[in-house]
Parts: sequence; structure tokens; C-alpha cells
Amino acid sequence: MANSIKIALAGNPNCGKTTLFNAITGSEQYVGNWPGVTVEKKDGVLRGHKEVVVQDLPGIYSLSPYSTEEKVTRRFLVDENPDAILNIVDGTNIERNLYLSTQLAELGLPMVMAVNMMDVVKKNGDKIDFAKISKALRCEVVGISALKKEGDMEAAEMAVALAKGGERGTGNGERGGGLRKLPDVPHVFSGSVEHAIAHIEESIQGKVPMRSIRWYAIKIFERDREIIRDLGLGVGDMKHIEEHIRDCEKELDDDAESIITNQRYDFIKKLMDKSLALNEKHKNKATLSDRIDKIVTHRFLALPIFILSLCAMWWLAVAENGPGTVLTDWANDEFLADGWHLPFTTHEVDGKDFDAAQEDFAKAEATVKAWEAGEKKASIEDEETGEVSDEWDIDEAAYKAAKEVEEPDPSKYGVWVPGIGALVSAGLEKVGVGETVKSLVVDGAWGGVATVLGFVPVIFIVFLFLAFLEDCGYMARVAFIMDRLLRKFGLSGKSFIPMLIGKGCGVPAVMAARTIENERARRMTVILATFVPCGAKTVIIAMFAALFFREQWYVAALMDVVGIAIIILGGIALKKTRFFAGEAASFVLELPAYHMPTFSGVWHHTWNRLKGYIIKAGLIIFPACVFLWFVMHFDWSLTLLGDEEIEKSILHDLGSWIAWFFSPLGFGSWQGAAASVSAEIAKEQATATLGLVAANMGGATTGANIQAFFASVSAFPKLAALSFMVFNLFVPPCMVAIAVTFREMGSKKWGWFAIAFQLFVGYVLALNAYQLGILFAGGGFGLWTAVALLVDVWCAWMVLRPDRKGGSK
Amino acid sequence: MKLADMKEGDRARIVHVNGEEAVKRHLGALGFVAGTVVRVVRTSYGNMILAVHESRIAVNDATAADIEVDEV
Repeated sequence: MANSIKIALAGNPNCGKTTLFNAITGSEQYVGNWPGVTVEKKDGVLRGHKEVVVQDLPGIYSLSPYSTEEKVTRRFLVDENPDAILNIVDGTNIERNLYLSTQLAELGLPMVMAVNMMDVVKKNGDKIDFAKISKALRCEVVGISALKKEGDMEAAEMAVALAKGGERGTGNGERGGGLRKLPDVPHVFSGSVEHAIAHIEESIQGKVPMRSIRWYAIKIFERDREIIRDLGLGVGDMKHIEEHIRDCEKELDDDAESIITNQRYDFIKKLMDKSLALNEKHKNKATLSDRIDKIVTHRFLALPIFILSLCAMWWLAVAENGPGTVLTDWANDEFLADGWHLPFTTHEVDGKDFDAAQEDFAKAEATVKAWEAGEKKASIEDEETGEVSDEWDIDEAAYKAAKEVEEPDPSKYGVWVPGIGALVSAGLEKVGVGETVKSLVVDGAWGGVATVLGFVPVIFIVFLFLAFLEDCGYMARVAFIMDRLLRKFGLSGKSFIPMLIGKGCGVPAVMAARTIENERARRMTVILATFVPCGAKTVIIAMFAALFFREQWYVAALMDVVGIAIIILGGIALKKTRFFAGEAASFVLELPAYHMPTFSGVWHHTWNRLKGYIIKAGLIIFPACVFLWFVMHFDWSLTLLGDEEIEKSILHDLGSWIAWFFSPLGFGSWQGAAASVSAEIAKEQATATLGLVAANMGGATTGANIQAFFASVSAFPKLAALSFMVFNLFVPPCMVAIAVTFREMGSKKWGWFAIAFQLFVGYVLALNAYQLGILFAGGGFGLWTAVALLVDVWCAWMVLRPDRKGGSK
Repeated sequence: MKLADMKEGDRARIVHVNGEEAVKRHLGALGFVAGTVVRVVRTSYGNMILAVHESRIAVNDATAADIEVDEV
């Protein structure tokens, strides 16, 4: 699409930009990230204009480099040369919105200003004189209502018309052969400032595109470091320019940047005096939002309300018998596995429903297997936790009766929809592939896909809920409420949202940290957010709680407490290092007016994030699962191994090489190492792999095998199990989250810092659990006990030592 | 007088904004410039919600202390 027309959609956050974008672009939209930075970029084709691409830029307040969004947006506008700008402006807050508009106009690109929310403006009885604004800002101005789809296409088409007939960039300093008139740009500053700007324009002529020369000149007047560096202005060039700037500063008794900001607002204020007639009646009246805020941000009510909404989210996502759990079970055990019955079509056969019939069959199978193995007792174990859920005596009569029990045919019990796993197996059987290929596809490839998809329900519900909270405006209030508390740990109110998301999944949690402008607070949030045990980690906790800590009911809850404690203590300790020392980040956040989110808005929001998760997880987890399958099923001569031959596998050797690392933690064997490393693919792999590598321990069940495994590596199996669990919960998160961490930290160095910190925390916690556990259990004092205690003293010092003076700069 | 000393419901005219360059720049873009009248909508343990033009901006106590104002 070389000769396509690019229209850039720019405006303040919460001005209805996304609504407009969705309304004027058809189904052809694509979301991507800006190369090199993690700010979302959305492109869409304008409805009815195949050749026009609308580019949705992040919502920004200014073209100054404050946030990542602002940097990215201005880079785009300056370097990518869109053919026209469609500037969307909130008509109910026009004064503030015009601050950005004056800067956009200075870029000299053809521009249409769409004044949004005209329906509300009219309802309020306010009047805006478009003609006067148009004349002052030298751009087209139209009124629209994006929500009611009024005037939106007209505004877009006007931008297209301007782009087609408009002045195109002709490169550095070219005036288009003198034939075309330069676009007019507004002059908003006072005499002496305009004088200085004119001088700067003179000295940068030829270095910048002619039409945007005024924008560049103003930026240089503001001493914008990025622009000065990009233009390669040397000390000599700047010396002359500096004189003019200093003259202005002296005359107006203010710094250059403030002069520009103040005069911009002066200009807007004068323009508004002429062109905006506010209805006096509603002026300064407390809005509905203010009244809601009276309750929601109330001194005492704020926290309970917030905790209540959290509880609602956790109930929806992870509570037993909540919608999230039901959906997850359905996805994992039915949709992705064997299959499922359509609801309301099921009926009983011989007085039993399908579940009961299946249970009978499972028992019968167990009876047959046990009798043939010469046992006198048969048992069934829980698939997830590995514990024995049912045990009964058997005799020959029972064996014979059991032999007669047939596997129930699901289609007899209702409308049966085959699961994807079953379809894959059946398909392979039909094609007639060999055992190796079948194992690769079913256990390796499909297993990987199913792992990714199995988490979709929980993540979907968390995303949906968060999208709702964000779109209605409550999320900004949460940041406001939590700011006081989190500030004490070197974080910001905005850090809370990533931690909230982290309970569901660490990947979106880390991504959510990008809204934090302050670099230190953002990095700390990324490092700490994944210590909250996520959905996958609860699988580990559930298994170990069932197998080892039946009497210690509090272990599961304790893990959440430990996670929060790490965040608090880790925050305090990090804040005292030279990397994060300095003034606490300031907190400035616009609280958008509350409004009922639209269905399509929430859906877009949720789906975009979910899609991102699925793609990222698929790209990383899928190949990793295939690799894991490979090293588990093959030996070095690349022969496929049988089920009982895992000791010959490549995985066995890989695990053996690094087992020493885990010895002080109590599970230094190839199995413990292999399970811990495979947990980095996806955390719940820790339990799955452990079950597989402990298969030859001689126990009757997977659970017994795992118990036998810990008994074989340590004299204190319970402590070794605790150590294994703690290690896998608090070391760096899964590979997907690590990949995202590296991206969000902005550099390899910081990425490694995060991983090293997390590895240190996880290792030290596991070391303490095991070594100090042994000490208290009367197992004596050894070298590693001393090491653990010394490390603890050092950690305590890192947390308790006095604050550093000054920053790291 | 500092904005941080204002009470809920007070209105104040901004005289000057101090503090870190980047934050000042951001505050400026949001309308915190000399001459603008702001209203304190809410105070909460030192943090504030302010009405500036037609928007509501939350700031922490340190930021509010960096803004010099005259009561109106």
C-alpha cells in the first residue's frame, strides 16, 4: 500500500478517540506494538475508502516528552509523515484539549479538528463558535458525537480531502519549487517569544522539513533535549540560539518551557473568551462523578468498597464453583480433552447419569488392574492432587463383575460434542501414523497448545472484569486510593493494578506496568508484580497442600501472604539500593468522569489483551512443550523410549548436570532439577513433570510416587517438599512472563537484574524453608544452616538500613 | 500559600509551579499554569482530587506542596 493515504488520529486520553476509531474503521483493524517500544498501535482501514489507513495514536496531553506515549506519538507525527491529522477534542473540556491542538497545528500538516460530545455540549446549553477556532488555529473544525455516530464519517472524509489536496512534505528545506504555498500555522506567543522563535527558525532552515519548522523552533526554544540531539545542533549553533532564549527568560522572568506553556494557555483562554459561551447554570456544579467520588474515595469507605470489588473479581475468576473455575474445568477436562455434553440434553441411562456411569467404569478398571497385579485392595486417585480418593477391598467375584462393566458410551447420555484432544487422536488414528508421531502430536504439540488454551477462561474473566473497571473510570480511583500505602514501599498508586492482574496471570500484569510514567516505580513494579502467586502457581500449591500439608491448612493462604511480604520488603530494600534511590515518584493522574462502559468497548479491550496473551504464550509455550516432550522421550542416540525408561532420557542427564544447584534446598536430584526447570515453561509444569519423572519410584499412585521421591532425596521429605514448592512459586515466573519482563524493563541489563533478583528471592526462601526447618526439627546445625542465617542477616540489613541520601543520577 | 494547605471545597488561583522538570511539564499540559483557578474536590490523607478546567486530576501530597497558590 505504497500510495495509500495515512490519517493520524490524535487526542487527549478519554476524549472518545477509540470510539471514533472503531466507528470510522471497518472490520479491517490490526493492533500491533510500536517497533522497539511497548505502546499499542492500532491501524484500521477507513470505511468505504480502501486506500485510506487510519492510525490510532495513544491518548496524550502534549507533544512534550513526558510519558512513553507522548514520545512515541510525536516521533510518529514527525518522522512518519501522516498525510493529515484528525484531532479529536472533548467538547465538554475544550480548553484543556486545545493545548494539544495548538501543538498539533504547529506541525504544519493538514488538520481537521473534530469536536466530540457535541450532544452533551448542546444538552448543557453551551455554545462553541467553530468558525473562530478554525480561524485561530488554521485548521478545519467540525462538531461530532462519536458515541451517537453523528458527523464522524464526515470529519474523517474531510481529513481525506485535505490530505489529497494538501501540501505534501517535500523534504528538507524544499519549498516545493516555490509553487505551493506553505501551510499556515497559528502564532500564539507574545512579541519577544515570536521574535526568538523567528531567529531559531532562521538558524535551523534546511535541517528540518519546511512545513514543520515552527514546531521544531518552539521545541528548541523549550530546550527539548531529544530534538536538539536529533538535529545535531552543536555548541556553536546553540550558543546563538541560547542568547535569544535567555533574553526572553530575563524579560518574562520565567524559564523557557513555562513561558511556552503559560502563553499557550493564555492564547487558548483569549480564544475561548470569544468562542465559548458556557451556560451559567451548570458552571461549577458538582457533577454526578463528583457525587460518586464522594463515596468511592471516602476516607473510610474507600478501602472496603475496593476490597469488595476485588472479592467480586476473585469469585468470578478463581473461586471454587465460580464461573471461572467451572469454565476452566470445562475447557481443560472436556472441551480440550475427550468431549462434553450439550447442556440440557443429558439424561440418565439405567438410573445413572454419565458421570456416575464413568465413575463405575473407572472403579471397575481399577479393580481389574489391581486383581491382575495380585493385590487385595484397589484404589482411585485424584488426577490433579494425586491423592487417593477412594480405596476398597476386592475379591475374585468383584474382579469378574468388574470385567463385565463396559465403558459408557457418552452419546447415549445426551448430545455429545467430541473434545479437541479426542478429535486429534482420532484423526491421527485414521491417518495411521506411527507411535512416535502420535506421541509427538498428542503429548508434545497438542499438550503445549492445550496448556496455553487451558488458562484462557480465567484470564478472559480477569481481563473482562478489569476492562469494565477501567472503562467505567473506577481503576483510576483505585490508583488514587492505594497511592498513599504503596508510596511507603517505593511504588506508586499505579503499581497496584499490575499486582491485581498478577493474581490471575503474570504476563498481562507485567504489561500493565507500562502506564507508570516514573521509570524507577515502573521497573520496581515489573520486578515485584509476579511474586503474587498467579493462577498457574495455585496448581502447585493445591497439589503440595494435598500431598504434604493436610494438617497445615494454612500453607496455601500463607503463600499469598509470603508473596505480599516479598513485595513490601523487596520494595523497601530495592528503594534503598542505588538503583532505585531518590525522591518518591510524584503522582499525577486524571480521573475520567464515570460512565457506563459500552459492550463493544469492553469487548475490544478484553479481546485485544486476550489475543495478545494467546499469541505470545503460543509462540513460547508451544515450542517449549515440544522440546520438553523430546528430551523426555528420547535418549542421546535419538531412540524413542518406553514409558518406564525415563532414566535413560536426555532429560535425566540434563537434570543431573544441574542437580547440585538444588542440593542445599533438599531436592538435589535429576528429578527435582528437571521439574523445576520445566516449570519455567509454564508454572503448573512443575507438578506435571514431577509426576512423570517420579514415575519409577515404586508407589501405587502418582501422589505416592511424589511422596516417595521426596523421601528418597531427603531425610526430611516434608521440608524438601515445602522447599520445592516455595522455590517454584517465588523464582522468576514462566518464560512468557520473563520475555515480557525483558521487554518492559527496556534493556537486557535491567531484564537480567529482574531475573537475578527473583532467582535470589526464590532461592533464599527455599534455602530458609529447608535449612532452618531442619534446624528447628532437631536435625542439627550444618554449613548450609550457617549460610542461610548469614544471608538472612544480610537481607534484614538491606531492608532495615537507613535511606540513601539523594538519587542515583 | 501552598495548594497542599487548601481544604475541601476551597478555590485557589495558581501562582507558580515548582518541582521536577518533567512533572512540571506534565502538570502544565493538564492546565496547572499560573492564573488557572483550581478547586479542591477531595482531600484524602494528604492526596487531593482537583477540578482543573472541566477535568478531575488526582495528585499526591508532595506534588500539591510544589504548587503555590492564592486563595480565591
